Amino acid sequence: MDLSYQEKSILGSLLAMVVVYGYYFANALRHAGEPDFASGGIGRLIFAVIAIVVIQIVYQIILALESRPEPKDERDVLIECKAYRNGYFALATGAFLVIGGVIMAVLARDAAPTRIIVTPFLIVNLVLLFMVLAELVKLLTQLFYYRKGF
Amino acid sequence: MASGRIRNNVRTLRFHRSEMTQQELAEKVGVTRQTVIAIEGDKYSPSLEVAFRIAHAFGVPLEEVFHYESSEP
Repeated sequence: MDLSYQEKSILGSLLAMVVVYGYYFANALRHAGEPDFASGGIGRLIFAVIAIVVIQIVYQIILALESRPEPKDERDVLIECKAYRNGYFALATGAFLVIGGVIMAVLARDAAPTRIIVTPFLIVNLVLLFMVLAELVKLLTQLFYYRKGF
Repeated sequence: MASGRIRNNVRTLRFHRSEMTQQELAEKVGVTRQTVIAIEGDKYSPSLEVAFRIAHAFGVPLEEVFHYESSEP
């Protein structure tokens, strides 16, 4: 498959995000019962952010050495704009879901048969999850338009 | 709203310019090769500025490169 420089760059970002945040959220699920986010949660989050930055830098350097970097042209920018629009919708939907979920959990605190404990750990991870999903939507939209044609 | 498609003769014009490659045209115009491929395949309509630059690269008027096909009778 003949991939352009931009497509390779996007694919690298996509894989890095899936691997690093997949590992992070799998870990976060295991610690979901912990009420205190500060106990290790922040450390894991910082590690994930640093890991993604390092992987991205190394990958972009290798990519630049192996294939000739191409500056973005008007089509790349237009595709990016469409991708950001879709990513924004995903992020906004996630924000509304988190806000709605927290309000519902607080209102139904005593009425619910099984109590939902809204911890900082849960909120931080839900917000992060939707940020990651929004970024994935953005990257997948870009790949879609590059492959489908635009 | 009127609908139609913008067609082009980029592939033919490249052929008549001693088989100018897509990469050569892309470099002359200042876009990526993928954008030239998308334009040739009628998948992307470039901006007016890029359209003029393509016409300039071939040394022909704009209407010799691009033309509008209306879907209305």
